[in-house]
Amino acid sequence: MKKGTFIFFVGPSVFIMLALMTLPLLASIWLGLNYITFRNLDEPLWVGFQNYQEVLADPEFWDSLEFTLIFILVTVPLRILLGLMFALLLDQIARFRGVFIAAALVPFVMTPVVGTLIFRDMFDRGGPYWYWMQQLFDYRLFMNSATVPLLIIFHSIWTATPFAMIVLFAGLQTLPQESLEAARVDGATWFRQLWHVAIPHLRSLFIFIALISIMDAYRVFDSVFVLTQQNPIYDAETIMYYNFQVAMSFGRLGKANAMSVLTVIGIFVVLIPFLVMTYREQTEEN
Amino acid sequence: MTRTNNPIARFLIYIALALFTIYNVLPFGWTILNSIKLPKDANARTPRFIFSPTGDNYAELWLNVSPEDFAPYGLLLVLIIFALGVIVFSAKRIPAPNSLIYFGVIGAGVLVALGLPRVVNTAEFYDYLINSVIVTVGTLAVSLSIGALAGYGLARFRHVVSVYILVIALAFRSLPSLALVLPFYYLGQLSGLYDTHILLIFCLVAVNQPFTIWMLRSFFMEIPIEIEEAAMIDGAGRLRSFLSVIVPIMWPGIITTGLFTLLLAYNDFLLARILTQINWTLPVGIAQWTGGEDPGHVTLAAAASVSTTLPILFVIIFFQKYLIRGLASGAVKG
Repeated sequence: MKKGTFIFFVGPSVFIMLALMTLPLLASIWLGLNYITFRNLDEPLWVGFQNYQEVLADPEFWDSLEFTLIFILVTVPLRILLGLMFALLLDQIARFRGVFIAAALVPFVMTPVVGTLIFRDMFDRGGPYWYWMQQLFDYRLFMNSATVPLLIIFHSIWTATPFAMIVLFAGLQTLPQESLEAARVDGATWFRQLWHVAIPHLRSLFIFIALISIMDAYRVFDSVFVLTQQNPIYDAETIMYYNFQVAMSFGRLGKANAMSVLTVIGIFVVLIPFLVMTYREQTEEN
Repeated sequence: MTRTNNPIARFLIYIALALFTIYNVLPFGWTILNSIKLPKDANARTPRFIFSPTGDNYAELWLNVSPEDFAPYGLLLVLIIFALGVIVFSAKRIPAPNSLIYFGVIGAGVLVALGLPRVVNTAEFYDYLINSVIVTVGTLAVSLSIGALAGYGLARFRHVVSVYILVIALAFRSLPSLALVLPFYYLGQLSGLYDTHILLIFCLVAVNQPFTIWMLRSFFMEIPIEIEEAAMIDGAGRLRSFLSVIVPIMWPGIITTGLFTLLLAYNDFLLARILTQINWTLPVGIAQWTGGEDPGHVTLAAAASVSTTLPILFVIIFFQKYLIRGLASGAVKG
């Protein structure tokens, strides 16, 4: 392909990404250096790094960062483990696979706001899960600062396990048959096949799911919005949610932009190894 | 891997998967029940699975007028939608060009959607639906057409520039959308574009573009280059051969990418919540019932949840194999 043709094909997309992503990010850096509320949108007040100082001294910011990190550490391994477990179960059977997979897509494709709402209804007073917990374990669930963060974590596992399951199940269908056959001839049990053939083969998929899950996890917003009902007493703010609140509830646009710039920097620091890895891979492919 | 021959183990596996299925769909089933309950049944202290059903919640959700007028119009609408569905499904058997039929059905759908508020007094929720449809379709159209061009260019132009673009796109893909939407909000307020569909569509396209070009590029890479070389030897230019040779065989890839784009645009809450004030989309409209003490909220929210979810479920069931293939192809490439 010639250079001119390439520019013609790629131009619109690059323009979109420059105009609609790079410019806003630069705007964000500038906005973060100003004092802006809803009242002085057209005449921002230059305050330099004051917003950044304020963010770093804000205990709520650190709390939300802490919950976000806990959320990532708990949900990402659980998603992969549960996904692998159900993928292996699916791999064992011959019938009704389509039904099981189709049903698993329901929580995955459902609008997150709706999904969280109906998930909460199950645990609210009078909901089936609430009632069964009370009947079976004599446990009365209340929405409080201990249970709401747990529900947010549980909801994320509910919606994301199917994704991991489908990806890993597809991976299991591409296992190298020769290795499996060799293992079988050697009399390897199912566990040894799993450990020595399947898991190494699925390694790149685990990384893929982990990456996607981590990206999802630090963005988690909708479920927090619905499950906390915008009430701070549940102490379950994630970094995105707190950032949103600073912008839209407290009206501190400058501070919110400073916070999102800090988040972006943090994410890039974590992400650099993966970007370098991708760069190498793609260069080799070319 | 080796499958178990033990019938008990096999039975237990089926039980486990059946329980997993119940766990996946039960909440939505419960919501369907809630949506046809009276508030007193929905707010009972013990879950009620048996009750006398009512359509009031849907009437209140969709209409401003009294529920008596609801039944005939509702029935007529269901019939029209059903008829259009039948036409789409049997398009191959009707002796007319398929594209003509599809355009006709889309046109009829648009006419019904626009005409409905003139016939019955629709409530705000109907406007949210229309907003959601406009934003989703707009995002799909812009995102896919630009993304397909770029994906094709990136798949065919093996140069370090392509790698740069892809890596930068990946970096953008990992950004939290809030970092983008706050400046969008600010610029929207200043330019007067705040609370318009255009601004929301542009924001969604921007957020979605990195993913779109990565995914479409991976599909274009699978197409052997000989195909368009043959077309170009026959005298077709790059764009001609792209449109008339590549795109037709790329439909599965475009549909797959389109499904993920559709889910992103239709399900988005954060961007629409920040960039709209009265032109809400469905998720923003539903979020108004997430809090509060009003006992009617539970049933209304349930009816709204079902109304929002059913369209997306129909689309996904119809295109299920594309969605799963998309997930699996991510799987195969890592």
